[in-house]
Amino acid sequence: MGIESDAIWLGLVALGGALAAALIALAVAALRLREAEQRVRDKEVEHQGVLDRLQENEYRLRAIIESEPECVKLQAADGTVLEINPAGLKLVDADRFEDIVGKPIYSVVAPECIEIYRENMRRVFAGEALVYEFRSITLKGRTCWMETHAVPLRDARGAIYALLGITRDVTEHKLAEEQVRRHQTELARVARLSTMGEMATGLAHELNQPLAAIANFARGCIRRLRSGDVAPGELIRPLEEVCQQAERAGEVMRHVRDFVRKREPVLAATDLNQIVRGVAKFNEMETRQQNAVLKLDLAPELPRVWADPIMVEQVIGNLVRNSIEAMAEARSRRREITIRTAASGRDAVEVEIGDTGPGIDGALIDQVFDQFFTTKPEGVGMGLSISRSIVESHGGSIRAESRAGGGATFRFSLQAVAQRESSVERRYSIHR
Amino acid sequence: MSDATVFIVDDDRAVARSLRWLIESVRLKVETYASAHDFLDAYDAARPGCLVLDVRMPEMSGLELQQRLAARPAYHLPIVFITGHGDVQMAVRAVKAGAFDFVEKPFNDQDLLDRVQRAIAHDAAQRERECQREQRRALFASLTAREREVLDLVVEGLSNKAIANSLGVSAKTVEFHRAKVMEKLHARSLTDLVKLAMQYASEA
Repeated sequence: MGIESDAIWLGLVALGGALAAALIALAVAALRLREAEQRVRDKEVEHQGVLDRLQENEYRLRAIIESEPECVKLQAADGTVLEINPAGLKLVDADRFEDIVGKPIYSVVAPECIEIYRENMRRVFAGEALVYEFRSITLKGRTCWMETHAVPLRDARGAIYALLGITRDVTEHKLAEEQVRRHQTELARVARLSTMGEMATGLAHELNQPLAAIANFARGCIRRLRSGDVAPGELIRPLEEVCQQAERAGEVMRHVRDFVRKREPVLAATDLNQIVRGVAKFNEMETRQQNAVLKLDLAPELPRVWADPIMVEQVIGNLVRNSIEAMAEARSRRREITIRTAASGRDAVEVEIGDTGPGIDGALIDQVFDQFFTTKPEGVGMGLSISRSIVESHGGSIRAESRAGGGATFRFSLQAVAQRESSVERRYSIHR
Repeated sequence: MSDATVFIVDDDRAVARSLRWLIESVRLKVETYASAHDFLDAYDAARPGCLVLDVRMPEMSGLELQQRLAARPAYHLPIVFITGHGDVQMAVRAVKAGAFDFVEKPFNDQDLLDRVQRAIAHDAAQRERECQREQRRALFASLTAREREVLDLVVEGLSNKAIANSLGVSAKTVEFHRAKVMEKLHARSLTDLVKLAMQYASEA
């Protein structure tokens, strides 16, 4: 019995121990659980904070987007409008969101723009950011011009799921642009007209002189014949004069024909020296009449330039005549015009036309190439403007300088024909 | 009028030659000049006639030449301007500046010749008046101071007696001076004398 009671005691003790251990374990577990619960609660709070912040961010973004004065919208790849802000609603003349959200954007794109719009959508969904313009016909049938800045929107895995577009009404801008273009066309038309007018005035004078002389000679003959107070032989000289003057008028016409024949610029490898010589010859009479001297300082072996010879002749002729007129107008004592040609660097040729006239007022030197700028009493102000556009259309540049001691210098450069091309040209001309 | 010359200034030599041929057909003497400078160098104010000028010429325009002539103290030739068609502005300026006349290009030959003839007649009349004026000036210059005094009072309408009183001399003396004045001024009557004196006064 003793052993038995011991065993019972031992059993009890063991049971108690086990119980205690269990209790302790329980307590520990409970403690851990409480800790875990606390942690979960902490996490939850933390999550809630994050969610709150996300929510807050979303609200803020929404508020920004909603109050954004420009149209902000999301579109699916097929063009379905996913979301749009109130400014967007207004832009497409929608009264409610349902009018446009869930509908294809193409319902407000003008038919002629749909094709290109689709192509732009495709490019954005391929990852490009784009700016494009299109004509829109709103839900209420109003026509306007839109400009959209579009970027692709990607999800967390980087897949593009929408197009974010910010769209502005650029109708006014577009109209203004249109107006500017129309204005420019008009200006060009006026410019063309005044050049023609200027030419016609000059031409009229050039023709009127010989015609007036012819009329005077002929009437002088008639008067003498009527009065019977003339020997036939006396009429020969005045009648010869009539013939000469008729030829003079014909010469004027021939030159006009040469001048207007070629309108389209035709570029050719051109020898500027040859053109300068031609201009000098053509202006010989005018130069002499105005007691001026035209000097040429032409570089030998000058590279050829790509140019329309007639247009370049027009530019040089223009500058020479300006110089002659300026020196005559100012009654310059020394009337000298020098045309100089020289290679400029490897790939350009420079032409310089300098005179000993009054020069150009420093305050006006920047305006001389402007359309309608003139210092001549009867000038239209087209010559230099046209000269500049010719030089620039050849890829060259022109500028004016006025020296302190008087005299104006105009300088322009043209692209030289590359060495190899030039030799080809030369070979060609030799074989021809 | 036979010594009148038409001076043509035109920078276009062919036009100048043709004008000469046309104007010579009415037996007028013609000289041509290629520039305003050339004409001014050769200009002699004593030579009668008229000037035919193109308004527009390089170097010195017709209007400028007109101004240069007008700036000279002596009487100058009447100018007939030739203006471009429709160049009314130039024509107005020329006439305002004292041009005699102008023809517009293209002109009728008779029209030009008529104007040239009128200008020459005008020039002759001007020269004639100028000549008479010179003569009057010489006649009046020959009067003595006393004779001038008597003349002035006669013109005022005073009787010999009143003049005598006013000058403190005898009526006989006044009578004598008066006769002398009439003789010197080649006046045939009192009316003649008063007219002459008034003319002279208006020119002085």
